[in-house]
Amino acid sequence: MVAFRNSDPSGRTSGLLLRCVLYSLLALGLIIVDKRYDHLGKIRRWLSIVAYPAQLAVESPFAGWHWFRESVSTRDALREDNTRLQAELRLAQFKLQRYEALESETVRLRALRTNTSEVATRFVIGDVMDVDLDAFRERVLVDKGAHDGIFVGQPVLDAGGVFGQVARVEEFTSEVILISDPAHAIPVQINRNGLRTIAVGTGDTSRLKLPYLPTSADVVVGDLLVTSGLGGGFPAGYPVGTVAAVKRDAAQSLADVDVRPAAALDRSRELMLAWLRPSEVLPPAPSPATPTRAAPAGTAPAGTAPAGTAPASTAPASPGKPNGGQPAAAHAAAPAAKSAKAPAAKPPGGRTP
Amino acid sequence: MMRDDPIRRLPMALSSLVALALAVIPLPAALDFFRPDLLVLVVFYWSIESPRAGGLTLAFISGLALDVINGVVLGQHALALTLMAAWATHLRLRLRVFSLLSQSLTIFALLTGYQFILFWIDGATGNPVTSFGRWFAPVVGAMIWPLLAGALGRLNER
Repeated sequence: MVAFRNSDPSGRTSGLLLRCVLYSLLALGLIIVDKRYDHLGKIRRWLSIVAYPAQLAVESPFAGWHWFRESVSTRDALREDNTRLQAELRLAQFKLQRYEALESETVRLRALRTNTSEVATRFVIGDVMDVDLDAFRERVLVDKGAHDGIFVGQPVLDAGGVFGQVARVEEFTSEVILISDPAHAIPVQINRNGLRTIAVGTGDTSRLKLPYLPTSADVVVGDLLVTSGLGGGFPAGYPVGTVAAVKRDAAQSLADVDVRPAAALDRSRELMLAWLRPSEVLPPAPSPATPTRAAPAGTAPAGTAPAGTAPASTAPASPGKPNGGQPAAAHAAAPAAKSAKAPAAKPPGGRTP
Repeated sequence: MMRDDPIRRLPMALSSLVALALAVIPLPAALDFFRPDLLVLVVFYWSIESPRAGGLTLAFISGLALDVINGVVLGQHALALTLMAAWATHLRLRLRVFSLLSQSLTIFALLTGYQFILFWIDGATGNPVTSFGRWFAPVVGAMIWPLLAGALGRLNER
């Protein structure tokens, strides 16, 4: 055979068995320790720093090509892009006008139901790295990690909707598990009628399924699925997908529902990693000593939605502020704050003369 | 053996690094199923060619690198690669005199054993891979073995 230089083929490899057993035991020990206890996070993170240059090196030609293609795009293409983006921006701003009013209304309505579902307050944009992970699992590598405050379980969105969640965090990178991974499930709700269920991945980026809906469930092709916010992992109300096919077999008790994901799971290059904060909750009803005062304060927000917009929309704009009593108090006092007086930090009950 | 250690280890490390990079390079989804375990083949080659230059250590370290890069449980690839590299070292004298076809068949057996250990650990740690895709890799790996062995042999001649 030409391939082997054959240095000393007859040389005995003394201790081959010993070394084999030694390394195997070491590897087995690592597997057990990594699986059973979470002590290896530090080691793994350290190893990943060593691996990071290799991943960067693999990615760099692709990144370079993207950069090159962007740099040589012609003036016409840029102008075309610009026009299109401006049109999109106009449309988005038009929608946004309505959104702020709706958001404040939603926050108030939720508060009435003392719903503590969470809202996304802060985003970080992460780029998908051109590195292939295990071919049989739906994962991507993102160029943000523990260094940027990313944590395990963090929801990940793209421009279309929910993309997945962070499964593993290294120092400079993190691994995102897509909603289409067979091991991933996300609590959803049909936007049309509020029916709650769970969307499970299939291993195919263009398909999710709803395995837990009875055949009698009110679901039709074209229904929009949004996150329900149950479980607390994902913010409520973000699009997950649209129902693509519903198969009802009379012999089965469960319907077979296919969903087309809203996010471009196989194409997105920029992802948003979101931070959640529980939405504000109104303080408990004021003491029964002031029933006449409390009544207008409780009913006013429903009627004066635009007036209450200002304090409600400024509250989420201050990230990092803990969800203490103050925003809630300010929120409850919104109608009173119209008199340009800043609301005091004390509870509303304390202002009654 | 100390005499030729420095000569021996450089191509070993270089080829392993290149194979590691090729293991994570993005491919179209259709081709991804047929991605051979290049790093495993490289480790087999060095285990057969120069067993005393630390083939098993190379196997263990390469396995750990694969674990970290693939994000699976630490030690999975390391265990599979160590066991199979030890087997390859054990078979090396016979492998050298085999015809190309027999060599490829032996390599196929080794690669299948490697995938089986991965498969087994995947199942034991609770995230089984149910698709058939992984069993393509040994076939492709056995097919490119003659090319790879030739190329590495040429590299080693220098």
